[in-house]
Amino acid sequence: MRDDISRLSETLAREPSSLAYAELAELLRRRGQLDEALQVVLQGLTRNPMHADGHDVLARIYADQGDLERARLAWSKALEIAPDHGGALKGIAFLLFRQGDARGAVAALDQVLTVNPADEPARRALETMQAAEQRVSAAARPPAAMEMPEPPRPDASGRRPGIFQGFDGATDDILLLDQRGLIVAGGVTGGGGADVSELAAAALAGVSGEASRAGEYIGLGAWRTIMAEADTANLVVAPVGERALVLVRRDRSTPIGLALRFAERARDVALAWLEGKGA
Amino acid sequence: MSEALLRALKRISRVRGVRGSMWVSAEDGITVADLLMEGVRGRAIAALAASLARKVSGAAAATGSGKVRFVQLEAEEGTLLVAVAPGDLLIVALADRRVNVGLLRLEMMRAAEAAAA
Repeated sequence: MRDDISRLSETLAREPSSLAYAELAELLRRRGQLDEALQVVLQGLTRNPMHADGHDVLARIYADQGDLERARLAWSKALEIAPDHGGALKGIAFLLFRQGDARGAVAALDQVLTVNPADEPARRALETMQAAEQRVSAAARPPAAMEMPEPPRPDASGRRPGIFQGFDGATDDILLLDQRGLIVAGGVTGGGGADVSELAAAALAGVSGEASRAGEYIGLGAWRTIMAEADTANLVVAPVGERALVLVRRDRSTPIGLALRFAERARDVALAWLEGKGA
Repeated sequence: MSEALLRALKRISRVRGVRGSMWVSAEDGITVADLLMEGVRGRAIAALAASLARKVSGAAAATGSGKVRFVQLEAEEGTLLVAVAPGDLLIVALADRRVNVGLLRLEMMRAAEAAAA
């Protein structure tokens, strides 16, 4: 990645109007260098204001910074320029989902897949969001007299990939999410067996980028794990590649060191699965 | 700076490998008191510690795991530890790889308990 950054920087130095700025800004963003990424993309957009990819990268940077309103404006601008822009549509879907509009998010992702049926990350996100929409619809429906639906269970329905099969708590205590707080696989349940995966994932949105940026800045280097001891459970969060996280919950009776080993195994499985998916 | 807060930081900083320790406001990540080695970026550490504590507390609350008491971020070159103390305070320590995490955790939890008394 460092070589790519050097190469793109040189290209931009030679040709300041080059569209390589968007790729450079995206690489910097992925490294957690958000300030530098923002500077590059804003300069690039000054010279190329109608470049949809640039607005898409700008929106991602704002989203990583937690500025969702600016992210929305930038993705909207990208869609004004290129109405079928896949990255911007996915971004808008992400924002709608975060706002609780699962139906709007599904519509946006449907459009992505219409344009590019081979977009696997969009298909997985669509599956997650359709599951959420169905739960919302079911909750809004007046209950039938004898109807007593089971609480949603991710793997029982087959809607989320059951990649942690064989692990203790595979569908209740292990969650794979992306750095924006979207569920990728697994699941976490709360009291009464209710699926709380979306809440847990949303709480951890942005933690990876923040740990990376701040870790480098304060001299800790790349982060490996975050462990939290709470009243009734130990939580372990570990990065899975550059863009995903695994959250593992273990009962407080499990020693933290053992919980850590468990999380590392879950991370390895998740990494292998993501690589197999080409993600 | 309160003498009691400073005494706690001195005890924590005596643990081998510790490069700095701080009391931080959990709400806004502002440093209340610190004892840092030269070159340690206190404000950035305080901000990260508060944000980290907030985010994992959110995840713990979402999963019904209760209140978070202690957080550890392990990285290539060292570790950042955060103990949650009463009064909206965090005790934060930055340490290199040599540190005995168990010992440091004990000192930090002791300081948190003392703050509660």
